[in-house]
Amino acid sequence: MNVFISGGCKNGKTGFAQDIAVRLSGGGKRFYVATMIPYDGEDRERVRRHISDREGMGFGTLETARDIATCLDSGGGDATYLIDSVTALLLNEMFPGNYSEQADPGAATRCIEGLLKVARGCRNAVFVSDYIYSDAERYDDFTESYRRMLASIDRALAMECDTVIELCAGLPICRKGVMPI
Amino acid sequence: MHLIIGGAYQGKLDHARKALGVKEDEIYSCTEDGGIDFSFRCVNAVEEFVLGCVRRGDDAAEIFKAHRSEWEDSVLICRDIFCGVVPMGAEMRAWREATGRLCAFLASEAETVTRMFCGIDERLK
Repeated sequence: MNVFISGGCKNGKTGFAQDIAVRLSGGGKRFYVATMIPYDGEDRERVRRHISDREGMGFGTLETARDIATCLDSGGGDATYLIDSVTALLLNEMFPGNYSEQADPGAATRCIEGLLKVARGCRNAVFVSDYIYSDAERYDDFTESYRRMLASIDRALAMECDTVIELCAGLPICRKGVMPI
Repeated sequence: MHLIIGGAYQGKLDHARKALGVKEDEIYSCTEDGGIDFSFRCVNAVEEFVLGCVRRGDDAAEIFKAHRSEWEDSVLICRDIFCGVVPMGAEMRAWREATGRLCAFLASEAETVTRMFCGIDERLK
């Protein structure tokens, strides 16, 4: 079973997704696939907090910042994967070298292909993204293209997944399918 | 009138095409420096028209009210721009407020209101 989770930032999506992944995996193998590349102290602190949050939950950790389907090579098909997050994965795929270079326009397509491979190649997958589409601001071209690309990935995953959940203040709103029990 | 709302790139226009059978040549997309053409069956990006109104000092809701008979059977699409922090710029604040007021008016007039989220439609009315 595949689950797509989105919603506003900082409202407990990772913790919620972990619980879902544990539930789906039953007693089976489960992996937390970390896509963010930590760049500064603030990032490292966030990673530390996430690691301690999932302590004792039985997750193996795979760090896969690009080419997301390769996480299956490490964990195998008979496992549950939590991909956290689509947002960071896209950023990494947009800048395969470093951030001073031009963003790669093929990044979204590559993300969609890789993520669908994950969804179709394992027992269960849980995907976490961020809903960044409802504010009143005129963004620069780069930010706008990032938003457009992320939305195209979100929509592809929402179409693929059995269940789509919007998280609001840590509470789930089921947009498609049923909540996994 | 059918009103479709939702954040940027959430599939509002696709929904108009698929669920309401809107054809390409029936779509008018507003721009911030253009006007609005109610003769089209589907008026897209209403929020852009509102931004133009804010800049010209026009009241978008009054313009809609004055042309009510022309959009009574239309499909109107407006982006949800209401969930961010209050914008720092006065123009963006005025835009958000005017769009919000217009949306509430249109929703009250609409036969159906649909909100799009990641390509998934939710009927609000």
